[in-house]
Amino acid sequence: MKQFAITLAASALFASPLAAQDVAAVEQVADPAPLPSAHGYEPQDDLEKGLWYEMDEAERRLKQSKFLIEDPALNDYVRGVLCRTVGEDRCPAARIYLMRTPQFNASMAPNGVMLVYSGLLLRMRDEAQLAAVLGHEFTHFEKQHSLRLFRNMRKKSDLMAWLSVAPVRLPYAAAMATQFAVIGSVFSFSRDMEREADAGSIKELAQAGYDPRAASAVWSQLGAEMDATAKERRHRSNKKRGGLFATHPRTTDRMGTLAQLAEAAVPDASAAETRAAEYRAALGDWWPQLIDDQIALQDFGGTEYLLATLAGGDPAGWTGDLLYARGELYRARAKEGDFAQAADFFRQAIATGDTPPESWRGLGLALMRLGNKPEGQEALRSYLTLRPQAADAALLRTMAGETLS
Amino acid sequence: MKALLTAIVAALLLFVPAGSAHAQFGGLERTEVKEGYQLKPGAVQILVFRPDVHVGEQTTGGMNEPNAEWTQTAKAHIMAALEQEHLARGSQLVMVTQEDGEMGELVADYTALFGTVANSVLNHKMVRSNRLPTKRDAFDWTLGEDAARLKALGGDYGLFFYTYDSYGSTGRKIIQGLALVLGGGFVPSGVHIGYAGLVDLDTGDLVWLNVDTSMGGDIRTAEGAQKRVAQLMEEFPVRAEGVVVPEGTVTFDPPLPPDGPVDDEPVVASPTAAGDGQ
Repeated sequence: MKQFAITLAASALFASPLAAQDVAAVEQVADPAPLPSAHGYEPQDDLEKGLWYEMDEAERRLKQSKFLIEDPALNDYVRGVLCRTVGEDRCPAARIYLMRTPQFNASMAPNGVMLVYSGLLLRMRDEAQLAAVLGHEFTHFEKQHSLRLFRNMRKKSDLMAWLSVAPVRLPYAAAMATQFAVIGSVFSFSRDMEREADAGSIKELAQAGYDPRAASAVWSQLGAEMDATAKERRHRSNKKRGGLFATHPRTTDRMGTLAQLAEAAVPDASAAETRAAEYRAALGDWWPQLIDDQIALQDFGGTEYLLATLAGGDPAGWTGDLLYARGELYRARAKEGDFAQAADFFRQAIATGDTPPESWRGLGLALMRLGNKPEGQEALRSYLTLRPQAADAALLRTMAGETLS
Repeated sequence: MKALLTAIVAALLLFVPAGSAHAQFGGLERTEVKEGYQLKPGAVQILVFRPDVHVGEQTTGGMNEPNAEWTQTAKAHIMAALEQEHLARGSQLVMVTQEDGEMGELVADYTALFGTVANSVLNHKMVRSNRLPTKRDAFDWTLGEDAARLKALGGDYGLFFYTYDSYGSTGRKIIQGLALVLGGGFVPSGVHIGYAGLVDLDTGDLVWLNVDTSMGGDIRTAEGAQKRVAQLMEEFPVRAEGVVVPEGTVTFDPPLPPDGPVDDEPVVASPTAAGDGQ
């Protein structure tokens, strides 16, 4: 019991710096200090200067990254969505980099570097959803969250160091509990900032005339995808992940809070825009490539779910691109019956009359694995006629029974 | 570069308990030189790629707080000291500033490749417990012959280096002292890591690599930077004695026996010949 009391006393210690931090944050708002999004903003103190300097160096390397999507049209589009969301005055402070990485993520550095992963672009259903994510990241930037998180961590790690040499040693269990409490409070601070960024994104969406319900939709889609992945892989869904050491609030909690905030911000969102057609048009040529990246993740359950939602739960929604993707997904898994299913999807894709030529390649390879050599070879030859310069042309020619020249 | 740093830090942690064999705080300190390697005689031009220098303060709790002012000062001091050091050795440094276009991309690619190769040397040769049997006596890493494309930037060698310094704050030093007195164990104050490597651009071979995880010299001062550079350049290959080319380093005949069997292609130090990969 005594140990417990000490633990409580120790925990109380950390509650106060946290509260103090909140007061500081309020003062910051009252103070007319320039926002990082203001034109010509310069980092203020030594720490901010130091973080900017390191990030500027990292940005130089980022510019040479092989993962950078340099397509000017796609870059212009994403930048345009940000500017539409936060306004032309504030958006120039952020520099967007599109990274070709199949995961769902985006991040923001204190100097204005914003990373947007291609896996996120694949998962957004319309422009309003993309705007929700960009608005969230921009709020992190404007409210200087990385700087504040660094200060918070510094303060708490300092405290732990002092406690480790404190003349009065805490009993082992209490010391452990104290450590957990301190580390936990850092994560709790991080979650608070995520909530602040979520709230910020709703505000921006509403002001820009986007449907603010898009923010909640992003998380319900992601949550359902996590469920599908978990079911296939037989583990607990990541969407329920939370607790003391989580950097972000639970997905299910964010979904609910965002929906409430959206309802409060724009009670009647019937006039608000989602711009789904514009979004699909902007992604255009990138689509099959993003699909290939996703299939390479070998997440059958999640990808199957993702494709089905992209088709909109409507048989007519299965376009040639999506059917091709589904064929590739089954062909890559290669379990019993998968090649027959894959061949079927490829045939359906080809029947739509609007599918990547790779559908013939997929059909040929699937049929060969099924033992149907004549038809398989014929499909491969169709592919080689459509893509004579394909990287794997030489190999496929041999498989198609053509002699090497 | 990041990966190498991580490996160094990991190596540092690994070596702390078994540190008695090493200098003062037991950090990893190793230099590898390609056996019998000498720089070619005559005027030597060494390309120096964007120096990777990071200086910060180690907080009481052990985090690193980057400091832009210290970093900029240190970078200037180190570059000055490096230039001086190499002038004394009779070689000239050529700063590479290209960051855009095809050449900038090439520099970025080779910087990344160097980082990966250096990391491999660190892991599989320098860290004794993890040394590959085939690398016991060999130091034969290379970036490949295509590295010769970098010669178009105006040098025959490429020098890559990196330093990371996190100076212990007052709080950190007090903790270190208290922990020693109170029996809390050894709390390190300050992190000072550096490495440098030299690539022969004719062959692409890594000819020298020096890694030190407990470097000396306060690089925020000119004198400290000189000490640091001297440590960084430990066992740097010396120049071969012999024919000194009077002027123009564009072409020169290597001192090879005129009719002897020569396995390698003749060395012609002209950028055009070197750029032809076939």
